[in-house]
Amino acid sequence: MAVAPVNETLTLADLTRDPYPVYRRMRAETPIVEVPAARRIFLTKAKHTKMVKDDPELFSSDDPVTPMRRAFLAHTLMRKDGEEHRRERMAMQPAFSPKVIKTDWADLYRTIATDYLDRLPRGETVDLFTALCGPIAARILAHILGLDEVSDADMQRWSQTLIDGAGNFGFADEPFEKSDAANAEMDAVFDSLLDRHRAEPNNSALSVMLNAKNPIPMSQVYANIKIAIGGGINEPRDALATILFGLLTNPDQLEEVKRQEAWAEAFEEGVRWVAPIQASSRRVTRDLEIDGIDIPEGVTLMTIQASANRDEDLYEDGESFNVFRKKAPHQAFGSGPHHCAGAHISRRTVGEILLPMLFERFPNMKLDRAEDVVWSGFGFRGPLNLPVRLS
Amino acid sequence: MVQITFIQPDGGQTTLDAAEGASVMETAVNNGIDGIFAECGGAMMCATCHCYVDEAWAGKTGARVDGEEDMLECAAAELRETSRLSCQLKLSSELDGLVVHLPEEQA
Repeated sequence: MAVAPVNETLTLADLTRDPYPVYRRMRAETPIVEVPAARRIFLTKAKHTKMVKDDPELFSSDDPVTPMRRAFLAHTLMRKDGEEHRRERMAMQPAFSPKVIKTDWADLYRTIATDYLDRLPRGETVDLFTALCGPIAARILAHILGLDEVSDADMQRWSQTLIDGAGNFGFADEPFEKSDAANAEMDAVFDSLLDRHRAEPNNSALSVMLNAKNPIPMSQVYANIKIAIGGGINEPRDALATILFGLLTNPDQLEEVKRQEAWAEAFEEGVRWVAPIQASSRRVTRDLEIDGIDIPEGVTLMTIQASANRDEDLYEDGESFNVFRKKAPHQAFGSGPHHCAGAHISRRTVGEILLPMLFERFPNMKLDRAEDVVWSGFGFRGPLNLPVRLS
Repeated sequence: MVQITFIQPDGGQTTLDAAEGASVMETAVNNGIDGIFAECGGAMMCATCHCYVDEAWAGKTGARVDGEEDMLECAAAELRETSRLSCQLKLSSELDGLVVHLPEEQA
């Protein structure tokens, strides 16, 4: 029996800049470690992160002091367990199913993608992150949710505002003032769309929830849509940018991916390599022990899926991007009851539709200078820019 | 131990000895059977462990559990009468010799 070692010197700024060397060392030396800067005990091995995510009774998602509740002005399904979580999640899950994507959305997504690719300038440097990855992720999500009328800019702004509020662990005033304003805007827009979705039921999340035989309360319908906005733009945006970076900096792999049409494999490798959601929190519900380390009731564990996805137990040279590596399950979409509800959608939209369309349209796309790409993020991570020349 | 056979869409078969009490999903994952992803680890939240119980065994595997049907609706491959989430199929002596077929796609 031993208490977790403490890493006193590590700062959130270090992790935001580049967490991977830190995690690599933790996996080797202190796989279970308290990080006072994050007020959490980090779990960095795949077997531990999966075990915690898979057991919601011992490791609850319900965090009584989460800033998420204040930011969303609601107790959302992200922080619920058991039947309550399942009911709210299943209320919108049909909108995210592979069959609905195929029957209702695939053609629309291709049309949207064509339209967005048409707008990109050729022969000059263009930042694909801001010109494509963000806006197209916003557009696709707007349709899935039934918010067709909302602009890409509003979708992205709402999303970032909710994320900033949910990550406002110091409970500063300003992020909440902004999230309050965004909540008011969103509520007004949702209110204005109810008649349309009631009159013309469809497979968007808002419509599916509104027209259910046994609907969940309206407050939770709105909270669900907000969670999807907060959690459904950055991830496909960052996944797309990360995969493009991986392929463009490994031209030999890109050629092989094109030859084999291995876009699905490229997608999986990209999200394994740099998981858009790097870490999650779970509250320990009773005193227990993980691999000989005492974990007291009430502490918050942070499962670092970014680290689990490079764990030497599962991957040879996990630090590098290698589409053709030996297959092993990754945890980029998490595990357990809170497994990413958008996993199917992101595979279809980013992996099956956007990646092949982009390289078909611009077969000689080149990254200007890989060293100019800035990566950032501890909780969420991805490139902040992607300067390419399209041809 | 009980025997279980997995049949791939291309007809390839694998027969394994499995522990009673384990789920069909766990047995597949622990033995590296292709075609069972089981991304949510058995929480009935991802529909990536979808399988078809062989007609001959369909009467013995019992009814779908509460909530399973809704998740099966979200599976990638065609939903059939014999569709189950393999995380909800627990192996027992009555299921010794069970045969399950894997779908064309899971995600």
